[in-house]
Amino acid sequence: MSQQTANGTASWKARLERWIPPHLDEQIEIYETQLEQKRQGKIDDKVFAETRLRRGVYGQRYDNGQRHDGTASRALEYPCGDLTKGPNTVWDAPGMLRIKIPFGAMNGEQMEVLADLAEEYSDGIAHVTTRQDIQLHFIHIDDTPDLMRRLAAVDITTQEACGNSVRNVTACPMAGVCRDEPFDVSPYAHALTHFLLGHKDAQDFGRKFKIAFSGCEQHACGLANMHDLGVVAQVRKAGNGTSSGTERGFRVYVGGGLGAVPHQAKVLREFVREDELLPLAQAVCRVFGRLGEKRNRARARVKFLVAKLGIEEFTRLVDEELAVLPADDRWTAYLDDLSVTDEAPTRPAATLEPGPRPEGFAEWLGSNVQRQRQPGYVTVAVNLPLGDLTSTQLRDLADTARRYNGGLVRNTVEQNIVLRNIGEADLPALYVELRAAGLGAPGASSLVDVTACPGTDTCKLGISASRGLAGELRKRIATSIRTTGVLADEAVKDLRIKVSGCFNSCGQHHVADIGFYGVSRKSDGRTVPHFQVILGGQWTENAGSYGLAVVAVPAKRIPEAVERIAGLYVAEREKGETFQSFIARVGKARVRQLLDDLTKLPMYLEDRNLYSDWGDPREYTIGDLGVGECAGEVVTAVEFGLSAAEREVFQGLLELDRGEAEGAAAKAYTAMLQAARALITTENIDIGTAPQEIVDEFRTRFYDSELFFDPYAGAKFANYLFRVHGDPETASGEEAHRRIEEAQLFIEAAHACNQRISQAQVADPLRRAV
Amino acid sequence: MSTASTSGPGLDDLVKLELKVLAKDESAAAAEEFIPVFHRWITERVLPELLIDVADYSHVHEGPGVLLVGHDAIYAYDQSRGEPGLLYSRRRETAPESAGIATLDQRLDSLLRCAFRACDQIEAEPQLAGRVTFDRRRIELRVNDRLFAADDDMVAALESAFSRALAASDIGNGDGPVTLERIGEARERLTFRTA
Repeated sequence: MSQQTANGTASWKARLERWIPPHLDEQIEIYETQLEQKRQGKIDDKVFAETRLRRGVYGQRYDNGQRHDGTASRALEYPCGDLTKGPNTVWDAPGMLRIKIPFGAMNGEQMEVLADLAEEYSDGIAHVTTRQDIQLHFIHIDDTPDLMRRLAAVDITTQEACGNSVRNVTACPMAGVCRDEPFDVSPYAHALTHFLLGHKDAQDFGRKFKIAFSGCEQHACGLANMHDLGVVAQVRKAGNGTSSGTERGFRVYVGGGLGAVPHQAKVLREFVREDELLPLAQAVCRVFGRLGEKRNRARARVKFLVAKLGIEEFTRLVDEELAVLPADDRWTAYLDDLSVTDEAPTRPAATLEPGPRPEGFAEWLGSNVQRQRQPGYVTVAVNLPLGDLTSTQLRDLADTARRYNGGLVRNTVEQNIVLRNIGEADLPALYVELRAAGLGAPGASSLVDVTACPGTDTCKLGISASRGLAGELRKRIATSIRTTGVLADEAVKDLRIKVSGCFNSCGQHHVADIGFYGVSRKSDGRTVPHFQVILGGQWTENAGSYGLAVVAVPAKRIPEAVERIAGLYVAEREKGETFQSFIARVGKARVRQLLDDLTKLPMYLEDRNLYSDWGDPREYTIGDLGVGECAGEVVTAVEFGLSAAEREVFQGLLELDRGEAEGAAAKAYTAMLQAARALITTENIDIGTAPQEIVDEFRTRFYDSELFFDPYAGAKFANYLFRVHGDPETASGEEAHRRIEEAQLFIEAAHACNQRISQAQVADPLRRAV
Repeated sequence: MSTASTSGPGLDDLVKLELKVLAKDESAAAAEEFIPVFHRWITERVLPELLIDVADYSHVHEGPGVLLVGHDAIYAYDQSRGEPGLLYSRRRETAPESAGIATLDQRLDSLLRCAFRACDQIEAEPQLAGRVTFDRRRIELRVNDRLFAADDDMVAALESAFSRALAASDIGNGDGPVTLERIGEARERLTFRTA
C-alpha cells in the first residue's frame, strides 16, 4: 500500500481506513477523542499526560514555554495561550514521538513511511535510539493522530512507547544469524511484544518496564543484565536429560536496570521452556503491578522491588501468580509458527573473490562486516553518526536492502542499522551503494562509534550536551585515526564510549569502557557544564558490570581526557590486558590524578569557552552577571564542603575497588553527611558534626521546605541520605556499590541545590539576611 | 485565483510548502557556522514570528544542516543533494503576518517573502562576513504534504501558480523570465526547480 500515490482524500483517516488493523485503529480513535477532550478542558492534565505518553507522545526541552538564551530566561509565546498537554507543558510546544520497533526489525515499506513522516512532521531526520526505537523530534501534538495512522497502516505502533508500560521489546540484532546463539530469539520477542501490548496485567505499573532478549550470555547485543526482564536463549537435553534430543528455553533475569543507580539483574529462572515464557512474563507483570512502588517514582522500577523483597521472595510471589493465572491460548499458540520472523536470503551465498576493490572497502569490511552462521552470508552494519539519518538516506537504505536481502534491516542498541543475509560476493557493490548514500562510514561498534542520548539538544532532563560532546569526540577520534594519533592504536580501537546528558543513563554510560554523564559545577559565580568520567563498565556479557564515576571534568576538556586515558592504556597495559582489567589494576586514583589539572577552571574572563557547552554558543550559566562578592564567599564555603564530600566518596570508591565494602559504604555515608552539612551552613553556620543533628537540620531546612528537591526527581536524592542514616551498617559489596552511586548523586543534587539558592539570592538579595 | 479541488483538499488548503534558495558558493561556509547565528536570531527576535530552538545535524551526510525551529516554520542552512541553500519549510500559519492568507497565490507570495527575508538577513550577518550569498533565481519549491495527490491537474496548477509568484517577485525582473522543471523521483515530494 503506497501512501504516496493514493488519490486525493480529505484526511489520512479516510485514506488509510482499510489499511489500519482494527485494534490499532480503536486506540488511535480513543486518543484522538482525548485530544479533543483536552482542548475543551474536559480531562485532567496529569491523566492526559500519561495518556499521551502511553502513545509515545513525549515532551521536549522548552515545552514549559520558557527558554534561557544565555543571559535570561524568556517566555516562548505560543499561540495556544493557556492550553496545556500535561502539567507545565504547553500544547503548542514541539515534542518528540517515540516509535516502537520491536527487536529493531524494519522492512522497506516501513522505512519509506518513516522517511515520509520525518519530512512532513519532523525535521527530516529519523533518530535510532539506544533501545532500537525510532524517534522523531519537533512534532506538534495536533499532528500525532495522523502520524499514528500512517504508522499503523504499515503495522507500526507507538502504543506504550513511553509512560508506565512495557516499552519496546529489544533483542540482539544478530538474532537468527549469529554464530554463537543456540536458536533465533526473534519469534519469541515478537510473541512477547504482541502478548503484552495493551495486556490488562501490564497497565498498572508505577514506572516503565523494559524487556530484552539475547541469543547468548557472552556478547553485549541484547544487554539482558540491565533490563527489568532479561531473556537469554538456552538449550538443554529434552526431558531433563531423560530422553534424546534437546529442548529450547531461556534463562530469565529480573530486576536489572541502569538509571541513576544501576542494578544488576538477578536470575529468576535458570531455565524456562519456550511454552512457559509468556505466562512467566505475565506473572512478573502481575507482581510488579500489585507490589511495585506507585507513589515514589524514584523507587518504582522493578529493580527496587526485587532489591526490597529479595530474589527468593520475588520468585515465590511470581510462582504464586503462575499457579493462579487463568490459562491463555496465546501462551503457546505462537509456537506453531516460529517462522513468522524468518528472513530468508534473496541472493546466492557466493564467496568474495579476490579482485579490485573500491576505495575504503578494506577498512569498512574489517569494521562493519561480520560472518553469519549461514555460510557465504554476512551482516553489514551501517554506522550512523549519533543515530541520525535523513529521510533520503532511509529511502536509499530501503532500496539497497531490497536489492540485497529483500528489504529487511534491524536497528541496534548502538544506534546503528544492520543489514543481514548479505551474500559475501555482493559486498563491494553494496559498499558502493551505501557510500553513495553517505552510509558507508567504517568504524561501526568501535571507538569512533560514540553513543549518546539526546541530552540538552531536546531532552527536558538534560544537564549537558551529550550529543554535542559525542559529535566532537567522533570528529577528534576520526582525525586521530587519520593522523595515526594515540586513538589510532589497535589497543583502543574497539573500546566503547557512551555519553548521557544526565545521571539517568539513557546513553548507557554505566556499561561503556569510557562513559560520561552530564553534571554542572560552579566557578567564578557561574555554572559550568561538566561530565562525570565513568570507568570500569563492561559492555560484553550482556552488560556484565557497571562502572563508577571517577571525577567531573569540564565538558570542553573531555576530548583531552579521553586522549589521556587512552594514552595511559596504550602505554602501560600488559599483554592481553583488557581495558576494564587495566583500570582495576592501575586504580581510579591514578586516573583521577591524570585528569586533575583538567578540573581546574580559569576565571570566566580568562576563557569563556569553558563556560558554554558543545554545539551551543549560549553561556551555560543561568546565573546573573551581577553576582556579588558576599554571595561568592558563601558559595565558596559551601563549595568547599561539597568538595570535601567529593573527596570522601572518592576515597570510598577506592576502598570499593580494593574489596573493602564496609569501609566504602561508611565513606559514602560520611560523604552524604558532609554534603548535607555544607548546604546547612548557608542557613546555620553553627551546625555541628553529629550525624543526627545534620540529618535533622537537613530535613527541616532542605527537605520539608523542598529546597533540596530536584525539579524532576523530587525527593529522590534526599531519601538516599535518610535511608543510609537509618541503616548505616549494611555493607555487602553490592550495597556498598549502590551507596557510592547514591552518595555521588546526593552530592550532585547538593551542587544543584546550591546553584538554585545562589540564583534565588541574586534575584532577592534580602533572602540571605533572613 | 482559487485552485480548490472538489475531490479532497484543494491547493488553497496546502500550507506545508517548502522553498529552498540555493547558495551561490557551495563551500562559502560550514553549516556549523550557522549555530551561533540562529541562536542570536532567537535571542534578538530577528524575525517576526516565534522562534524556538536550534538543531545541529551538520554531522549527517547531505542532511538539513543546521536548523532554526520556529512554531510556524523551520529555517535551515540545508545541505540536501549536496547543494547548500536556505530552506524555508512552512508548517502552519499563526503568525500575524500570515493572517488573511486564503489562496495558493497569496501563500506562495508569502513564502517567497519569508525565504528572501531570511536570505537577506544571512547575507548581512556580521559573523558570516558576507561569505554566504544566495542566487535568488535558483529556487526549489516542494510540496511537503503527501495528502495532496500529485495528479496532473494539481501539478499543472501548482506550476502555474509558482510561475506567477516568481514573475511577481523581484526575481521576475532583470534577467528574463524564469522557467520551471520538475525534479526528483516519483516517490519523493513533488518538487519544482527553476531551470
